[in-house]
Amino acid sequence: MTDILAAIADIFTSPTMYSSAVRLGGFLAFAALGELVAEKAGTINISVEGSLLAGAFAGAVGYDMTGSTWVGLLFGVVGGLLVGLIQANMSHRLSADQFIVGITANILVVGFVGFLNGVLNPAARRASIIEIPILSNIPLIGPALFGQTWPTYILYPLIPLTWWGLYKTRWGLEVRAVGENPQAADVSGIDVNKRRRQAIYYGAMLAGLGGAFLVVGQVGSFDTGMVGGRGFIAIAAVYFGGWRLKGMLFGALLFGFADAFRLTMPVLGYRLNAHMMAAFPYVLTLIVMYFVTKEFRQPAALSRPFVRGLR
Amino acid sequence: MTHAPPPKLENVMVDSSNRRWSQLRDVTILYVLSIGAALTISGFLVAMTGNSAPKVLKALLDGAFLAPGRWGTTLSIAAPMLLVALGMVVGVKAGLFNIGQEGQLLMGALAMAFVGTKLQGAGLVLLIGGLTLGALAGGAYAGVAAVMRYRRGVPEVISTLLLVFIAFQIVGFAITTDWFLRDLDPNRPSKAVTSAPLPEGVRLPIIRIFGNEFHSGLVIALILAVIVAYVLARTVWGFKLRLLGQNVNVAQMIGVGAKKAGSLALFASGAFAGLAGAVMLAGGASSYRLTTGFSTNIGWQGLLVALLARSNPLAAIPMAVLFAALRTGAGFLAATGVDRKIVDVVQALLVLALLIPPAVQEIRMRRRARAAASGETSE
Amino acid sequence: MPTHSPDEAPAILELRGMTKRFGSVVACDDVDFVLKRGEIHGILGENGAGKSTLMRMVIGLILPDRGSILIDGKPCQIFDPVEAAKHGIAMVHQHYSLVNALTVWENVALGEEGPVDRAATRDLILSISERYGLEVDPDAHVRDLTAGLRQRVEIIKCLRREPRIIILDEPTAVLTPTESEHLFEVLREGVSKSGWTVALVSHKLNEVTQATDRITIMRDGRVVERVLTRETDAPTLARAMVGRPVALINEAAALGAATSGPVIKTVDRERDVGRDTESRPALEITDASLRAKDGAVLLDGLSLEVYPGEIVGIAGVEGNGQTPLARVLASLLPLEKGTVSVDGATVRTGVAGAMLSAGISVIPADRFHSGCVTEMTVAENLMVACIGKMSRSGVLQPDQVREQALTLIEEFGIHTPSPDTPLAQLSGGNQQRVVLARALCISPRVLVAHQPTRGLDVGAIEYVGDRLRAAAESGIGVLLLTTDLGELASLSHRIKVIYRGSIIGEMRRDELDMERLGLLLGGSQDGESAA
Repeated sequence: MTDILAAIADIFTSPTMYSSAVRLGGFLAFAALGELVAEKAGTINISVEGSLLAGAFAGAVGYDMTGSTWVGLLFGVVGGLLVGLIQANMSHRLSADQFIVGITANILVVGFVGFLNGVLNPAARRASIIEIPILSNIPLIGPALFGQTWPTYILYPLIPLTWWGLYKTRWGLEVRAVGENPQAADVSGIDVNKRRRQAIYYGAMLAGLGGAFLVVGQVGSFDTGMVGGRGFIAIAAVYFGGWRLKGMLFGALLFGFADAFRLTMPVLGYRLNAHMMAAFPYVLTLIVMYFVTKEFRQPAALSRPFVRGLR
Repeated sequence: MTHAPPPKLENVMVDSSNRRWSQLRDVTILYVLSIGAALTISGFLVAMTGNSAPKVLKALLDGAFLAPGRWGTTLSIAAPMLLVALGMVVGVKAGLFNIGQEGQLLMGALAMAFVGTKLQGAGLVLLIGGLTLGALAGGAYAGVAAVMRYRRGVPEVISTLLLVFIAFQIVGFAITTDWFLRDLDPNRPSKAVTSAPLPEGVRLPIIRIFGNEFHSGLVIALILAVIVAYVLARTVWGFKLRLLGQNVNVAQMIGVGAKKAGSLALFASGAFAGLAGAVMLAGGASSYRLTTGFSTNIGWQGLLVALLARSNPLAAIPMAVLFAALRTGAGFLAATGVDRKIVDVVQALLVLALLIPPAVQEIRMRRRARAAASGETSE
Repeated sequence: MPTHSPDEAPAILELRGMTKRFGSVVACDDVDFVLKRGEIHGILGENGAGKSTLMRMVIGLILPDRGSILIDGKPCQIFDPVEAAKHGIAMVHQHYSLVNALTVWENVALGEEGPVDRAATRDLILSISERYGLEVDPDAHVRDLTAGLRQRVEIIKCLRREPRIIILDEPTAVLTPTESEHLFEVLREGVSKSGWTVALVSHKLNEVTQATDRITIMRDGRVVERVLTRETDAPTLARAMVGRPVALINEAAALGAATSGPVIKTVDRERDVGRDTESRPALEITDASLRAKDGAVLLDGLSLEVYPGEIVGIAGVEGNGQTPLARVLASLLPLEKGTVSVDGATVRTGVAGAMLSAGISVIPADRFHSGCVTEMTVAENLMVACIGKMSRSGVLQPDQVREQALTLIEEFGIHTPSPDTPLAQLSGGNQQRVVLARALCISPRVLVAHQPTRGLDVGAIEYVGDRLRAAAESGIGVLLLTTDLGELASLSHRIKVIYRGSIIGEMRRDELDMERLGLLLGGSQDGESAA
């Protein structure tokens, strides 16, 4: 028993742990940040998973073609957006069920990426680490937050930017109105489905960026299985945060920690069944969702399609 | 016992019968256009790899039906796909979107492997026991999502998906653990870590017709398809399930509680996927061995089959055969140099394409229904 | 009464040949309409007459198939409410235009253009509040406001755009009589001081005769009459609106023409006092309490009893607990405290089907919520409540289902091409008949009718009234929840007033006193003093 406690203490004081928690949580946060906006508009997009994968692959292709990390990230945004275009237009222009569209889009992306990966086989490299002076000297969290590869830092300004967009702009007000009471928004002169599509585009672009970040900012190579359900965990993070930005970030970080925990253990020489460890983040996500989902008030029209004149 | 409609209504009816024809025409055009678009994109992908579409099509047909023994293989794969699709149908009818079939299927296969390789008994008893336990395991696994939804409001869409990733690890754990399912036979044919194969007696009987072989799981699947169709259309249970899917409040009012009926529906939905996994294993998938990648996307594809069949259990039969054919056909693509993953793309594109016409149609229908329901939209 | 006569005023808004079809239904058929500057213009018509559709075309929520809109004599096209606002036209909606989760100021800012400015919006709200006596806290969340306050927010939201033309769609549905009077005062003041022109859409004769200068009457999508208010009276209007002399008392009451009139005389005296007070109540609710998820009180120690053979009317302004009460009685909500019993036997609340099997049938206010299943066929909807009878050992009997459907279609006069037609394709009135048939076909002990005539035309309203009366006569205890005082007065044997989730007053029909009722509706305990 004391061994286990010692081990856990060991892991939690290891700088590696914090560093990888931020990396993995950051990756989730890109996707969750976008999905938060989309859910505020009343949509649930299980196609974030597809956007992440498409973004990752497009990012690798972009890097492979130009050797530029920036181009890779840009390609990632476009790749994610392509999936968002399918999701948004099929579900919120036409009225196909958003879950059906989402799951089908995910399967489509897996097929597409699998196929194209065989053809193009893009190679990528990890971007360089930039340590931010002074801040990165803070023990444990310093290197974790400010000693990362530079694409990580794109996330930081996106957080207040998203908050500002959501709570301080007309667009954000309309997005929130559309997610709470689409009928009311409609009679107030807001094009409900247009706002929903835009919110999904935003979400898909951030997810695509997150995917590209995974490739060029973190792993340094592309693999078809690399996203592996993190998109769904990102959705869980939005739920965990009670549809609030701070809570969502905390959720992304928590799940990032879970991932980091299992990756750090073997590094420090602790052995546990690999499969049990691999399942750990998903199990934790389920458990957390079990306890938090009911506690928060979700956007009232979440996952309800809007057709004018129908309730 | 006919009720004469007032004159005004007759006009409406004449009007609507004209409209029905033009509607039918519109829908047909829409379907042709969207399927055409899906196939064009697929053809473009093929062209990208420097191949000709007709050659690929020929390879697909050979692989699926024409080459000797191939349609038997196709039917063997169609069986579990159909079972998964039936489970999806049951869920969708009850308004539940269980999309974790891939995981539930794995749990079913795991249960079958356990019964077949670890328990002692007569072959037939073990086979039937394994299939039953497989269904129960799949159902119980989906039941986790039911508990989460009905106790805590966690959407089943997300929980079932997360459970898929856990299922993969459970299987991985099982087949790598000595005391569990790992095959410890030093003479095993390959070095890959798998479970022991199901013993001869615990395998589904093989049916041989005209040089084609397929396992009797197909018969199970077909019978169940008919049963599901009948239950949904003709029984009280089916009616209640549909009622739950259409209007939760009316259902609750007349005594169909979402918690109980919905949990049951999710359980049943998972049970079909579990049975599919058990049938795959007992039908000879991966040489009767449970492996890490055992499910080979059958869960996802079965889900697509149900979507393609628009939740009609009988329509799911030909759709399952179509998707199975694309899969087995893909086995012959290697010779053409086209990656077999093209088939995954085609399948998903087809589903997306087929989502469009009904969605367009639904928008039109709703507009009309709304107009009819309230000439004035004051409420 | 109107303060001045704008007969000679120029037209500010003119509609020519406005036509709108929804599929095969013509909602507006070649409608001409003139709104003169500085008038309060009533647009009167039954539900389905096309008046809301007409006004929605004016503010761009519905695009006309044909017709032109002229503002100040100049033709213009209006594609959406923002466009309408630019022309100075705004609408106060009946429902749906506020977002509960947002604050008052956010709601008011919604639908504008340009950056959101909290301080400016708040100031604006406060100044409008002050100017028109529409007090409201700009930082309150809309979900915490009463129905009357929400309407204030609606009006402020509309006034914020400084409109010249204000359209109100059935504005008094959510108001107490006092609040209604206050609203009309605000309107008159706005007309005289701020140069408003008002279009008041209503189906209530009394408010149209009280508040307007001129009236346009619509029927079946057409304008049937244009009159000056001072030159007409309620019976004349009623005749024009319905298209025939209105003889039946409950019909007149339904139109609001006779709320304070001779309703009481029509009471069947025997029935009125005929209930046996010794007998057990068919329905008894004791001390029912329930709170919403966010802690808001829905029901607060509500007690009432309904005896077999009587109609108990529950009067109340919308949002005072009627919906939760009806939902509890439909097994949709559990009570936190208190009991419901039928014929003396306690029924568990919130348990699927418990109320129905105890003999309580509910006609919900919102039939799409819990009344019917639009995606299913007429026959399937009619068998919902009695699946047991329609099946043998778990298998449905199609012949029986069809037979029962045909019987009920005939008995309740449901106009449908066939029993296998999807319910969605029926008109609202016929859908409501299906709901009624479904509720009555199981021979309940208690019938709960919540706004059973909302959205129906006069013929259907009369039919529903007859049915409720017949149900009571056959010994069913009927609980009628409605905001329509005319309906209440003409149907109920006893009237109780619900306010903030509890019963605060009761009167027998022969002691009906509209003034006291009005006070009770506003929450004055026992109608003693006005707040």
